Amino acid sequence: MSQLMRSLLWIGAALMFGLGTAQAAGDAEAGKIKASTCMGCHGVPSYTNAYPTYHVPRLGGQSADYIVSALNAYKNGERNHPTMHAQAESLSDQDMADIAAFITQAPAAK
Amino acid sequence: MRSGFNLTPLIVGLTAGLCLAGAARASEPAAAAGKTAIEDKIAACVACHGAKGISENPMYPDLAGQYADYLANALQDYKSGARKNPVMAGMAAPLSKQDIQAIARWYAAQPGKLYTPALE
Repeated sequence: MSQLMRSLLWIGAALMFGLGTAQAAGDAEAGKIKASTCMGCHGVPSYTNAYPTYHVPRLGGQSADYIVSALNAYKNGERNHPTMHAQAESLSDQDMADIAAFITQAPAAK
Repeated sequence: MRSGFNLTPLIVGLTAGLCLAGAARASEPAAAAGKTAIEDKIAACVACHGAKGISENPMYPDLAGQYADYLANALQDYKSGARKNPVMAGMAAPLSKQDIQAIARWYAAQPGKLYTPALE
């Protein structure tokens, strides 16, 4: 194989490796610290919103990717919820990934 | 009561009979279809959310064991456009309020992996 071909293959492989992950990889240890505010509502079994009145959803065991997409939707207004918007607004992509990585496998509330 | 033929039991009986007949007729179409009514309603959901509400694709959330009122609110928001999602809007568009309640309650009752998390 020519020198050029070999170089191109290496560059291609490097790009694929680098661009492979679409989202920031989440760190559950960091997420545990960042998720402490979340537990105020999501960590209380059967907690409900004041209005409209429905349960705050169970997040333990939920898909981490979905949690991240929900946080983004609250942040950019696709999902309209003042409290969740306020929570998500200050989160970076890394924060969201870390929180999701923690929550998806967090211990169960007693 | 006047003496003579007592109409009260007749009226009570007829009313009860008509009520029961009406209720039976209302559930006939579901039974005749050979599938339960709820299986019909959730058929469109299965492709993304899994056969019993446990999703195999991380982009689509688990629904099994989620709070029924939260799920119902989500479907209502998709239907009204309060929650913007073209796929879910299409899913929710044909659902009546009763459909939404039935679907939400069914998913809430399915055994699933969702739980209330804690820090430790």
